[in-house]
Amino acid sequence: MDYLATKYLRPRKIPSTACSGCGLGQAHKKVVKAIDELGLDIGDVIWGTGIGCAGRQTFNTWKGDNFAGTHGRAYAIATGLRMALPPDKKIIMTVGDGDAFGIGFLHLLNCARRNVGMTVIVLDNLGYQSTGGQYGWTTPQGYRTDSSPYGNREPNWTQEGRDVLNILREAGATFLARYTSLQGQEAVEAIKKAIMNNGFSLVHMPYPCVTNFAERALGTRKPVEIYKWFEEHTCSLHEKGPEDFAFRTGIYYDASNSRPEFSNYMRTWVAEIQRRYS
Amino acid sequence: MRRTLDTGNAAITEGAIIAGCRLFAGYPITPATEIAENMSRRLPQVGGYYVQAEDEMTALHICIGGSLGGLKTMTATSGPGFILYADPMGWALGSEIPLVVVNAQRVGPVSGITGAPGQGEFYMSRYPTQGGNYETIVLAPNSVQEAFSITVEAFYLAERFRMPVIILADQLVTDGWESLSIPETPEEVEAMGLKVVPRRINKGPEFYPATDEIDIPPVVLGHNTGAACSDWTPTPEGYDTEEVDFQHKHAYRLIYKVRNHKDLITRYESYFVDDNPELILVAYGSPSRVVISAVKQAREKGMKVGALRLISLWPFPDEIFKVQAKYLSVELNYDGQLVREVQRAMPKGSEVHFFGKCGELPTVAELEEMMQALLAGKEIKARKWEWEAW
Ligand code: SF4
Repeated sequence: MDYLATKYLRPRKIPSTACSGCGLGQAHKKVVKAIDELGLDIGDVIWGTGIGCAGRQTFNTWKGDNFAGTHGRAYAIATGLRMALPPDKKIIMTVGDGDAFGIGFLHLLNCARRNVGMTVIVLDNLGYQSTGGQYGWTTPQGYRTDSSPYGNREPNWTQEGRDVLNILREAGATFLARYTSLQGQEAVEAIKKAIMNNGFSLVHMPYPCVTNFAERALGTRKPVEIYKWFEEHTCSLHEKGPEDFAFRTGIYYDASNSRPEFSNYMRTWVAEIQRRYS
Repeated sequence: MRRTLDTGNAAITEGAIIAGCRLFAGYPITPATEIAENMSRRLPQVGGYYVQAEDEMTALHICIGGSLGGLKTMTATSGPGFILYADPMGWALGSEIPLVVVNAQRVGPVSGITGAPGQGEFYMSRYPTQGGNYETIVLAPNSVQEAFSITVEAFYLAERFRMPVIILADQLVTDGWESLSIPETPEEVEAMGLKVVPRRINKGPEFYPATDEIDIPPVVLGHNTGAACSDWTPTPEGYDTEEVDFQHKHAYRLIYKVRNHKDLITRYESYFVDDNPELILVAYGSPSRVVISAVKQAREKGMKVGALRLISLWPFPDEIFKVQAKYLSVELNYDGQLVREVQRAMPKGSEVHFFGKCGELPTVAELEEMMQALLAGKEIKARKWEWEAW
């Protein structure tokens, strides 16, 4: 990340405090790379984060303006911010799976419904890892965590034909994709498309947590094991994939710029009301 | 000057618009719904935005976001929504986000009675979130006209102190109809003694000075200043930190920027307290109007009583409780939320008593009965629990 880091990230935040071997760096780098390849300047992007490994490790790494919300709330803050910011500013958010698909899901759905202009990158470490490794809403069923010592009994959002991206599409999101942090340029290209969509975009990016998830679920902290597990469980959106669990990846839905973006719509509409009543 | 007959909810709306509010996010709730409705009608006319949020927590977060982007923002609710503000309120207090929060108090606990006045969030307005280490600014109007001026003032204080300011109203003020004068020019605004300051932008590098200074522009994102702002304990630059030393400095600022400039906030009215009355009635919001009438009437009858009407509730105006006397706290609740504060502030040798009503105002006759009993040192059997000396 060296060149990109010097160009876009704050020196005091490099290296990050993520555990060594964590996939978060790979994922973070993909977002910065997409920004770079789009030729965006530091001043073009407002970077938002939440709480957890993803939030804490990516907050204020961006050299430009930053904000972080409490758990799950960053999307509601971003909605207000979107109304106030000039339309050409990009809001890019790196949040965790609990933040997006658990505690903040209501806000996320309403941002999708309103088509609020923001790019949400869900950096998914398959559970609550910064609190020591409890199961979350993307932890595969049956897998062991600290709070599911006999195996996770709860169905998650991405198994047995369920896909959280379906819900977001139904809610009105205009760009949706899923890639793991292990995938390469195709993931960067998807993030670029997400950023260029003037509306609500979400890229779901599972990444390997070596410290907590791997330790409990696979019984080892050796990075190579969880990386291998990730590869074995990754398939394309159109494939069936392995029986127990799969990261089904690809561009799930691209309706970029097909619906009016919320703040643009509000601006035009307010101008119309003003014209009518002046 | 536009003179009209309208509700407190309308007055709050107009006050906010004159103060420069251009984003309102809220969730309908009786008796504050009309503020949302009025805002949805009035804001677009002045180039502002109304957003109906999916819940109150979202509403205040949207206001935080709008304020972070440089807009003046406001939200309004009642008790059941105010409790949901607990989450974003900490964010706004901690990151020093200027905005205004209205609470039209109704009878509780929980959903209680939707269309009846209560005063159950006195302490909650002082401690509206977790974590401690902060002070709040809370203002309480007792009329439609004052609801208007207090709203303008709330925006002014929010901007100068860089923090959320709470307007603790009650259903009788927000739903009540009274005559209302609305200034139409900046000169008229000034003539009413009201001040409006524009949103300012902190260009950095210091976003959180470890001092009690006020009038520091708030953090605004989108100007490429490298501004950083979060719910974590900040370094002076706004970066997140785990160092306790920074936490001390942050807490010092959040507490003392308010305490050390209390004179800019404290507002009250006093009636007949200069000749050391034996009994002083204390109230805020709509019950204070009955209290003032009752005390004036009692004086005419030769009873040596006075009254204090609190306009600013927090920081608590300890210094106005100068007279050693019996105090009677008159409130729209049965648990006596103001009582402990009066007890703490009053001079040694004083007593505090409580008269509570809920859902309706006390009557002048009821207060007179209480005053007579207290002056005579008599017990009122039917109201034993209210009579209790604390
Ligand atoms: S706990 Fe897991 S996800 Fe969090 S930083 Fe460590 S390896 Fe990464």
